Amino acid sequence: MRRSLLIAAAIAALTVAAERSFRMEEDPIRSLVAADPVAAELFDRYQERSPFRGRIFLEANGLSPSEEEALAATLQGAGYREVPFVSAPDPARVLDLAAQLPAEEVARLAEDAALQQRVADALAVAALPGGGEYLRQLEVDPLGVGPALVTRLARRASGSAGAGAAPRVYQSPHPLVYGRVEKVEAELRALGPRVHWIGADFFALENYQAVHHDILVCTALTLALNLVLFFLFTRRFVLLWLLVVGSVVSYLAGLLAIRAFYPEVFTIVLVYTSTFVSFNTESLVYLSGIEATRRSRALLGVRSAIGTTLLGLAMLLFGRLVLVRQMAIASIAGLLAFLAFLLPYRSTVDAIRFRTFRLRGWVAPPWLLASICGVSVAGLLALGPPEIRTRIDAFRFQTDGLAREAEYFQGKLEAASLGNVAAVPAPAEPSSALRPLASAGLVDWDAHPLARYRDEAAQAATLGMLRDTWPDVRRRVAELAAVGGARLDVSASPPGRRLGEWDYLRALGDIGPVLWMDEVRGARYVHAGLLRGPRGPEERGIVQLGPRPYYDALLTGLSRQLGALFLLGCAAMAVYLAWIQRSVARTLYVFTPLLVVALGFSAWFRWAGSPMTIVHFMGFSLVIAVATDYTSVAISGDHGNVELSKVLLAGLSAIATFAVLALARHPILRSLGATVVAGALPTLVFALLVRLRGEEEGP
Amino acid sequence: MSAWLVLGALALHAGGGITPEMIRARHAGARSLAADIVQTKEGRYWARPLVSHIRLRWTPARVEWEILDPVHSTVVIEGERLRVLTDKGSRDMGAVAGDPRFTALLRFLRALASFDLAALERDFSLSWGARDIVATPREGAGLGVLKLVRLEFDDAGEIRRIDVETAAETTRIEFRNVERVR
Repeated sequence: MRRSLLIAAAIAALTVAAERSFRMEEDPIRSLVAADPVAAELFDRYQERSPFRGRIFLEANGLSPSEEEALAATLQGAGYREVPFVSAPDPARVLDLAAQLPAEEVARLAEDAALQQRVADALAVAALPGGGEYLRQLEVDPLGVGPALVTRLARRASGSAGAGAAPRVYQSPHPLVYGRVEKVEAELRALGPRVHWIGADFFALENYQAVHHDILVCTALTLALNLVLFFLFTRRFVLLWLLVVGSVVSYLAGLLAIRAFYPEVFTIVLVYTSTFVSFNTESLVYLSGIEATRRSRALLGVRSAIGTTLLGLAMLLFGRLVLVRQMAIASIAGLLAFLAFLLPYRSTVDAIRFRTFRLRGWVAPPWLLASICGVSVAGLLALGPPEIRTRIDAFRFQTDGLAREAEYFQGKLEAASLGNVAAVPAPAEPSSALRPLASAGLVDWDAHPLARYRDEAAQAATLGMLRDTWPDVRRRVAELAAVGGARLDVSASPPGRRLGEWDYLRALGDIGPVLWMDEVRGARYVHAGLLRGPRGPEERGIVQLGPRPYYDALLTGLSRQLGALFLLGCAAMAVYLAWIQRSVARTLYVFTPLLVVALGFSAWFRWAGSPMTIVHFMGFSLVIAVATDYTSVAISGDHGNVELSKVLLAGLSAIATFAVLALARHPILRSLGATVVAGALPTLVFALLVRLRGEEEGP
Repeated sequence: MSAWLVLGALALHAGGGITPEMIRARHAGARSLAADIVQTKEGRYWARPLVSHIRLRWTPARVEWEILDPVHSTVVIEGERLRVLTDKGSRDMGAVAGDPRFTALLRFLRALASFDLAALERDFSLSWGARDIVATPREGAGLGVLKLVRLEFDDAGEIRRIDVETAAETTRIEFRNVERVR
């Protein structure tokens, strides 16, 4: 009784600590940070200036006034506030670029008819209530150089950005209330194809909904299936009680362990923790019902199983992906907490007895296992390393509707040559870095602002024209404004200065929504929209700044790293097992099904032509962590009936747990579940049906 | 329904002061509005107080602000576009309309011309007096150019005067001969 009270108090304390200390993060993409600090800095700075950050975009065509009104009310109710796409640039900064206008255009703007028109327009706008501010523009820029520059510089982009109304921009509320975002999305969907919408809020909402569905469905089903299995194998409710309460302890301990290292926990990690039941089942099963006569054998199996599991999970800690590290931390802490929880119940656990059964096994000589391992390795080498590539779409959940919207807006960005912006290293002038890439078909030179850059001689001609016409312009504009009742104090000196290519790009970044150059750690980069992904040695060093290519490249790099860690983990497990089992044949027995499974996976990826993703590597690590236990426990217990019964129960529990993930909405979980089931099932069958010849005994 | 609103408005009127219901009732179902306006502007950019006579014509799709004197011109607002008609010709001020400050100003003018309280409330905090409403722009509404707007109504809830204050000027708009078609 006292023991149970202590446990209940501990659970209550852990729950309070977990509940008070956690902040959740819905979008797994936010766990990604580039290893290369220069690339990370370039990306962050480009995205920080991005007019897409913290906003949603709506494009509506043909809505009735009542629909417009209802939509506006819903958006307002959800806390969205309409904002301009870009902040109005300071006119003085725009006029810095005056020399970029051709001299003949300046001459045309300075003609008397053009000045009369400009002043008349300004006076008309200024006559609107609150419109007087517009006269400041006339005072600062009497010639209208600013609008002429904007027209000239934006010609290419605006001419090809595609059809559709101008998007409306809304500032996202903070914090985001998902219920309200859901209402906005539902109303937008109901308006059909007349409305297009995009924004990180919708991705966060859909991931939130998916994860919450998955938490509920996967945890409930996993628990139910495991309860049934336990009851069938032991007919003792005490074991079920230990599993359920112990899993709560391990869940809370896992969460608190993450909190010790990270301020936020990814909600998808919470879903993943439903798989703890499987790890805990294994530990509980292998530690239960150990007979005194076979104690050393049984404990060898336990040490092999738990040791390899911990080794497999520990390897994941060396990965750079925060999400994976959180999963590993939670798993290790959860497993250790469960073992600690079982300590006070040692006598109860010892008293458990399992239903046994007799299986007709097939005895394999060591040479055959060695041959199978050899053939598998040869097959793997012959097939060669599979393609490793992870795309952002496989990493987060999105409905087909949202995917279509993303594609629609991506098309618009591509039409404006902003779909795949990259930072190109430029040790000298930016044009000398871009021109070879344009010749190679990587960059559309005509779409780049440098195509409209006027060299210093041409700029000098424009500045000369401005100097010559300015005194007359200044006097005439003041005269015309006075007729309309306005009093203007036009600057005595004309605008504009000579700009080199770098200053020109910097000035464009200052007045527009897009950065066209950057300087990181002493190196300069020119930004340009790419027509395809960079390839070949001459295109190395280019950093893609669009979220999709950036995250695709990042995830692919992380996948390769996780692949290397996985191989290291396998090697560590092999060494550990060889040391603990003190037998090459027994170690070969443990790894035979895994090598066959690895060959099967490799062949399947080749045949299907699909790449291995980061989720597959996460799955392989779990396969190694879970499935080596079946063979190591079976071999440690000399294929005894009790051990095989335990292996069957643990295996069925793991397969049920991971098969349940097939019902998840989140693609990471579905892929993870499929990979673990595909790897664990053959290993389980092998452990149950294949036996090592008796003389190959271990310690 | 409108009749009930009008009756409600009259009942409230008997108690003195204007209410949102009264203003909504007055403008509900209007298909067009026309008014003669005398506008006085004073401020940094005006040599002396500038008095203009203006004809305002409003329909849900279009606002026309015709300045009769001292210099004749017409500003037409359609959606987020602004067109200026002067004796020099007609000009689509796309660049002006593209300026976010003026886009916000156009949104404000459209809401003002139609006395659309819901639209005004999206961008302004409204404070209700006995005969007037004082509107101050909400933070981040993109209407930083405006400091304060005051709308004054008569006993029947009809608009009489609007004062608009910006950093550069104050504008006083007095309404005469308001004609509304339902």
